[in-house]
Parts: sequence; C-alpha cells; structure tokens
Amino acid sequence: MIDSRRLLTLAPAWGVPLVVATALVVGAFSGLAPALLTLASGALLGAVTLLWSSLGRLTGESPLTLEEAVGLGAPSPEEERKRSILRALKDLEYERSVGKISEEDFAELSVRYRAEAKELLRALEQELAPRRREAEARLALRLKKDASSGGKKKSRRSKEGTKTRPEGKRANVSAAAEDSMDGKADAETTDADADAPPAASSADAPRPTCPSCDTPNDADARFCKRCGATLGAPATEAK
Amino acid sequence: MWNSLPGFGTGVLYAVLVAAAYTFAVAVAAGRGQPRLLESARRGAYATAALVALGVAILAYAFVTHDFRVRYVTHYSDRSMPTSYLLTSLWGGQDGSLLWWSFLLSCYTTACVFWLKGKYRQLQPYVIATLMVIMGFFAILMLFAANPFEANVSGARLDGEGLNPLLQNYWMVIHPPSLYTGFVGCSVPFSFAVAALVTGRLDNEWIVAVRKWMLFAWMFLSIGNVLGMAWAYEELGWGGYWAWDPVENAACLPWFAASAYVHSTMIQERRGMLKIWNVVLITITFLLTIFGTFLTRAGLISSVHAFAQSDIGIFFLWFMALIAATSVGLIVWRLPQLRSRGQIEAVLSREAAFVVNNWLLMGIASFILVATIFPRISEWLWKETITVGPPFFNRWIAPLGLMLLFLMGLGPLFGWRKTSGVSLRRAAAFPASIAAVVAVLHLSFGRKLGFPAFVPEDAFYPGIAGILLQKIGSAAPLATITLVAFNFAVVAQEFFRGTSARRKKYGDEGVFTALLHTVEKSRRRYGGYIVHLGVGLMFMGFCGRAWEIEHEATLSPGQVHVIGEYTLTYRGPRMEVDPAKRMIFADLDVERNGQSLGRVSPARFIYTKGSQPTTEIGLLRGFRDDLYMVVGNMDPQTKKATLRFHVNPLVSWVWMGVLVLLSGAGVSLWPEVKLREVGVWGVVRASVGAATSVMFAIMLSASSARATTGQERAPSTRPSFGGTDPRPLDFTPLAALGVGAAVAGTSLFRRRTPRPR
Repeated sequence: MIDSRRLLTLAPAWGVPLVVATALVVGAFSGLAPALLTLASGALLGAVTLLWSSLGRLTGESPLTLEEAVGLGAPSPEEERKRSILRALKDLEYERSVGKISEEDFAELSVRYRAEAKELLRALEQELAPRRREAEARLALRLKKDASSGGKKKSRRSKEGTKTRPEGKRANVSAAAEDSMDGKADAETTDADADAPPAASSADAPRPTCPSCDTPNDADARFCKRCGATLGAPATEAK
Repeated sequence: MWNSLPGFGTGVLYAVLVAAAYTFAVAVAAGRGQPRLLESARRGAYATAALVALGVAILAYAFVTHDFRVRYVTHYSDRSMPTSYLLTSLWGGQDGSLLWWSFLLSCYTTACVFWLKGKYRQLQPYVIATLMVIMGFFAILMLFAANPFEANVSGARLDGEGLNPLLQNYWMVIHPPSLYTGFVGCSVPFSFAVAALVTGRLDNEWIVAVRKWMLFAWMFLSIGNVLGMAWAYEELGWGGYWAWDPVENAACLPWFAASAYVHSTMIQERRGMLKIWNVVLITITFLLTIFGTFLTRAGLISSVHAFAQSDIGIFFLWFMALIAATSVGLIVWRLPQLRSRGQIEAVLSREAAFVVNNWLLMGIASFILVATIFPRISEWLWKETITVGPPFFNRWIAPLGLMLLFLMGLGPLFGWRKTSGVSLRRAAAFPASIAAVVAVLHLSFGRKLGFPAFVPEDAFYPGIAGILLQKIGSAAPLATITLVAFNFAVVAQEFFRGTSARRKKYGDEGVFTALLHTVEKSRRRYGGYIVHLGVGLMFMGFCGRAWEIEHEATLSPGQVHVIGEYTLTYRGPRMEVDPAKRMIFADLDVERNGQSLGRVSPARFIYTKGSQPTTEIGLLRGFRDDLYMVVGNMDPQTKKATLRFHVNPLVSWVWMGVLVLLSGAGVSLWPEVKLREVGVWGVVRASVGAATSVMFAIMLSASSARATTGQERAPSTRPSFGGTDPRPLDFTPLAALGVGAAVAGTSLFRRRTPRPR
C-alpha cells in the first residue's frame, strides 16, 4: 500500500522531472501549446500537493522524519566559528608559503588560531557528549521495543521502508549525527591541515606519525588529522 | 479555464500572494521557537514557486495560442511572430517582465530552500520569510498595478499589435533574462543578511552561506550588462556600446556594490572585521536592484529602455522605503554585535586596501547614481531640468577607473595585518618593472602603431578641475595600458609564487600539475585573479575609444572612401523583401592595405507594421579594431547613400575580457567541500557553465556572422588584424564552449574522496 506521507515527501524530487518529461513527450507529439498546458497542470498539482503537505506538518499530522530530527541539531555559533578558524589557518599557510606574511606574524597568528580552535573543539565535545549518550540510549530503548513487538510489525515496517534494520538504523543515526555535528568538522580539519606544516610553536617537539596512514601530525595531536585514528599518548600541549 | 483565462491567471496571482503570506507567517513562527514548522515553511515556499511557474506557463500558453483576450498578449504579439519571439514577449513588456522577475525569484527560492535543507537551521526561517516578502511585493505589484492577465476591455481582437521590431532579435532572448537573473539573485544574499541580523548570528556563518550566491548573482550581472553593451553596439548604430543611458547606469550600479561586497567579505572571514560594511553593502546591492527596476518603469528619467510611463513607481518607492527602514533598524539594533573585534593595524595591509576598495567602488556607484538622477535633483532644487550626458560621464569616470585599475593591481601585493615597506617593494618590483617597460614601449612606438600614448582632449570645464580632467583624459591611454600591464604582471607573479611554493613542498609535481593543484586548493583566490585579468582586458578595450575615428560621407556607386587603414568602395544599393519588412542594403567592398576583406552591407529595414525604420550595421571585427558602418539615407534615383564609418580600436578586447572574467568566476564557484554535500551545486555549476558558454557561443558566432547582413555572404570577412591570420574570432565560440564544457565536466565528474573515519 502506498504511504501517502512518503509520497508527499518524495514529490518534490520526482514530480518536477516527471512533469517536464511528460511535457516534452506531449510537445513532441502535439505541439507547444499542449506541452505548456501539461507544465501548467503539473505546476498546479505540485502547488496543491506541497501546500497540503505543508499544512499537514503545520497541524502536526506528519511525524518527524529521521532527517528532520537530525537536522534540528543546528550547528552552533561555536561550530561555525571553528570552521572559520580552520579556513583562516589554511589561508595563513598559503600566505606564509608565498611570502606575504612574516614568520613572526605567522607564528603569532597560527598559535592564536590553533588555541582558539582547540578550545572550541573541547567545548563542542563537552556540549555534545551527553546528548549523544542520551540519543544512543533512546535508540537502544526503541530498538528493544521494536524487537519485542513481534515479527508482523517488523515485516510491515520493512515493507514501508522506514527505519527498518536495527543495525543499519543505529549506524545511520551515528553516521548522521556525526555528519551534522562532527563529520564536517573532521573533513574541514583534514582539508585545512592536510598540507599544513606543523605550527611554529611545536616545531621543536617530535611529530607523531599515524600508524594507519603514515601522516605526520602535530606534536600535541591525539588523533590523526587525515584519517582520525588515535595516536596514542598525547604529546606536550603547545603554549 | 478556457472561457476565463484572464480570470484564471489573475486568480493564480492572488494564490501566489496568499501562499507567500502563509509561508511568511509559518517561517516566522518556525524562527520564533517552533523549529518543527520549518519543514512546513519550506514546502510553502516550494508551493509558492510552483504557483508562479503556473502563472508563467499560462501566460506562455496565451501567447502561443494567440489568446488576444489578454491585453498584454495583444500589445506584445501578433499572429505573424515566430514562436521564439512569442515566448520572448513574456518579458517584452512591463507586466510580463514583473511576472518573469517573480518566476526567477521563485527559481532562486526553490534552489535556496533545497540547498539549505539541514543547513543553517537558525537562519533558514528568516531567509524564507524575507524571500516571501519580496515575492509578495511583486504579487501585489502585478495584482494592483501591472496585471499581465488583464483582459482586453473590448474583448478578444483578431490580431495583436506585435513586438517592437527593435526587440525582435536574439539579444532580446538572452539579455533581459540574464540581467534579471543577476538582479533577482541579489535577493538571496539580502535574505541571509536579514536573517543574520534578526537572529543575531553575525559571525561568519551567514557570510560563508552567502558567498557563492552573491558570486553567482554578480556573474549574471556581469553577463547581463555585457550583453546589453553588445546589443547596443550591434543594434543601435551609434558606434559605441555604452551611452550612459539611465537604465544602463541603473543596471551597473548593483554590480559595483556586489563587487565591493565580494572583496569585503574576505576581511570578515579572516579577521572578523567590516561586519557593518558587509551588511550595508548587501542591503545596498539589493536596494539598487529594486531601484534599477523602478527607474526602468516609473518614468522618472527618460530613457530608450523605459517602459511606458505608469503609476507603478509609487509601489516601488514604498517597497524601497520599507527595505531601507527595516535594514537600518536591524543594523542599528545589532550595532554592538556588528562592531569588529579587531582593527586595521597598518595602512599598508590588505584590510586597509579592501576598505579603500569599498570606498572607491561605492564612490563610483554614487557618482553614477547622482549623475543619473540629476535631472530630478536639479528640478527639485532649482526648478530647472539639467541633464548630464555621455561627455560628462566619460570625463569623470576616467580618473575613477584608473584609480580602480591601480588598486586592483596593488591589492594582491599586500599581506594581512601589515606589510612592511621592504616586502611591498619586493613584491611590487617585478610588476612595476613590467609596467615601466610597457610604458616606455608605448611612448616610443605607440604613435607609429596607431595607438599614441597621449590623445589631446578639449577642456570640459573652465578652471582647475577642467584642466586636471583634461590632462588626465589626455594621458588616460598611456596610464591605462601601463596599469593593465601592471595588473597582468601581478597576476602572473601570484600564480608563479603559488606554484613555486607548492613545488617546494611536493617536489615530484610537474609545473602544470602543481599549478592545477594550487588553483584547486584556493579556487576563490585564483578565480579572483583570473577575474582581475578579465577586467584588465576590458579596460584595454575601453581605452580604445581614445583612438577611434569617425567619418560621414555621401557616396555615389563606385565612389571610394578611405578611413584609417581601410579603403571602402561603395557598389550601390540592393533591396530584398520578406513578409515582415523591406530591406535596403548598401554594398561596400572593403580593403585594408591593399588586401581585400570582403563585402559589408549595412542596411535599413522598413517594417510592414508601421514602426519607424531600423538601421542594421555592417561590422568587421578584429583584435586590433572594428570597422563599423551605418547607412542613413539612400536616394532611389541617384543611388547615393549617406554613410557613417567608425574605426573602433580594441573593442573586441572588451568581449574577450568578459569571457576571461566569467572563467574566473566559474573557477571561484567551484566547491571547496565534498561533492556529496553540494550535489545540487554541482548540477547548478554544470548548468551555469553550459548555459553561459552556449549563450556566448551563440552571441559571438552570430556576431561574427553579422560581418555582412542580408543573404549575401562576403567571400572573405577576415578580421583586419594581419593579412594572413586565420579568423581568430571564429575560435572564440569554441573557446566559450570549451570553458563551459570544462566547468560542466569537472562539476559533474569530480572524484569523490572518502571521508576519514
């Protein structure tokens, strides 16, 4: 049986290409005027469908989808600030490599940006950790409930194609949570720092090499900046 | 529907207004503590866009089926028009152009809402709300001032009045849509700015979100303005491409403000400074787009572009007042958060250079704005209408343009925070040397080559200001060429330094690979440098006007006329007829330095439908100069023709510069994050790349083919630069297609890199 809610969710994605394709076919056989009418009809149908869907959400009839729930965890100002610092570090490396900034200024700015980035990462980690634990606890409870409710419900959920396989769902939640909260930060860190030479302040300390990908990392790094693997005992903190 | 298409269309406009209002309300509610309503607002925005698309489809249907019950269809089409021009008439008149504006806004809204998805959830509600306010304004405008679905009072007519013959050309197909795409695109950054002010999230979040939207809009403002220039050059027949017409000026104003913004935003990203500047610049850019539309329609200033005078102006005035008041109020409210943490530490710094750049670009925009509306100002102040024309603009814009060109070259040499005199001298040594060499060469050989370094100008004003302007104008050719060389050298140096730094780090990379990777790692930077190259080329083209030659002559068949290096032999008139018009050609054989360049045939077209005759130019393009011919009167008895000839040096470099500029913008628009996160941008970029290149390929191919008008094709229409050169401009469409294909291909087939775990 077709789930009308899912249909409405997917309508924007498939509706436009379908209407355009139909209009092209009609136009090829019957001329431009019928093709325009087809487009007009599709637009009218789309408008009505979307307004109906919008009203459904307004009145609370539609349940929150997983994507929406994950998306409600909006990146905080600290997250955005962290990203901008990582971008600034990347630019700073370039400016230094082409000689537009003196070593003294580079060292000062680099240390300042890195310290701020570390503080932000720490703050974000502290803020998110309890929420992540709570989310996983709620998920475990829900999975337990689903598992105990019997085979029939399980097979119906499988047909509807919603949050079916528990293992996949758990992985998706973790992955989605990471995507929205930390994964982009990791990727940004990788982009920003992948080619960066070590900060001037830790230049003298030994630089640990990642056991997984052999990337040299900063002296005070605990996780590899390229692949995220744990590096072992942390080095001395840079000033 | 069939009995009441006008009624149905008007009903759709009411539905747009209602849907926009509903979406606005839901979006505001979503922003004020009910985040679950955000999805509802998103769908409302999609629905509003779908309703606008419905309106456009209905109007297009009315045109295609010649439904003359609709007044707009009657005014702007007739049964003899081909389908392409029928569809073009959608934006040919005021009412339809407002619907077209709404349609583009709905496309941007759809794209923005789709792109936002799970991102910027704090800002999203207010972005959607602002876009709906703008949509609602245009719906109100259409419903109460300029309804494209208004029915004919006298009922359906047998035939329509037809589109103005001046508008029945391919320029009408591409110029208004591209310019409107640029205008309307400024709504999205403005919406983000409002959202940032309302939510108080004034750090870099909204700046980063807005970056590519503003660049996209800026790119289309560039395309739209240049297409307008090309249209004026090929159609209006006065020999130039920019007449400082009020509507032309209004179209370029947002470009200046947007250019200032795309530079200034970098300061906020790096140093957290110039926040007030950035919100003000975005607001001004958006206001200027509305002002430009207002100027075209309100009859404030007379212009060749103006739509018929109407009472629509008061709506625009109120809307601009609302925008200005809301923006100022929000900025004042958020002033404490907008004040920057840092400050400019040295005059010789990139931050200071960008501030000067802001002031200069906004200064130029202010000058153009005041001069454009000066007739109204003078009327208000002195009860006397004083119009300022092209000579005034040309005299004053020269020193301002030179300052901009100088700053454009100097800016990249500065570092952040501060640049010591030593490092600035070191950085500037190579470009300054190149500029000096070019200046000496120009002084030594310019006159011999036909491009003298100094071109005397008449004094425009009495007094010191007049003398100063005269001297600057006379030296402008030398200064322009020198500064263009300076800019080119700076850009080359930047590419060299970046590539060298990369090769030092990755010794195994070849030069070309290192260059590619250097550009890939810093697309915005190097794309910007390529844009600077394009602007430099355009300046070179602009300065060619200093050396232009203009003649007018009345020739009998067989008579010869010489202009510059060209010898023209008038062969006589020739007439052709088609259902819509009578075409009278004046055939001229062209030689240059004894070598035949073929036949050129400027013409006059006399339309059956009774509008005034139009001139069709004869044009031979070249890298060195264009030969431009216009025919005036032709005596049928004596077969004498009055002809005007122009030799326009370096004009083609304006168009070449634009292509380079667009390439640079395309490089900057490439993503800096993984394709998976910006899938829609990959498709958008591919579409932009393909559409841009196809559009320019059409424009340039058709322009090359217009070396002769009419059915007779010249045996040889080689451009005038060199006798044995191939036809370099024939490669330009291929180059444009190549650039577009490269952008499209790279966007679509970019290799995905797995995310680290």
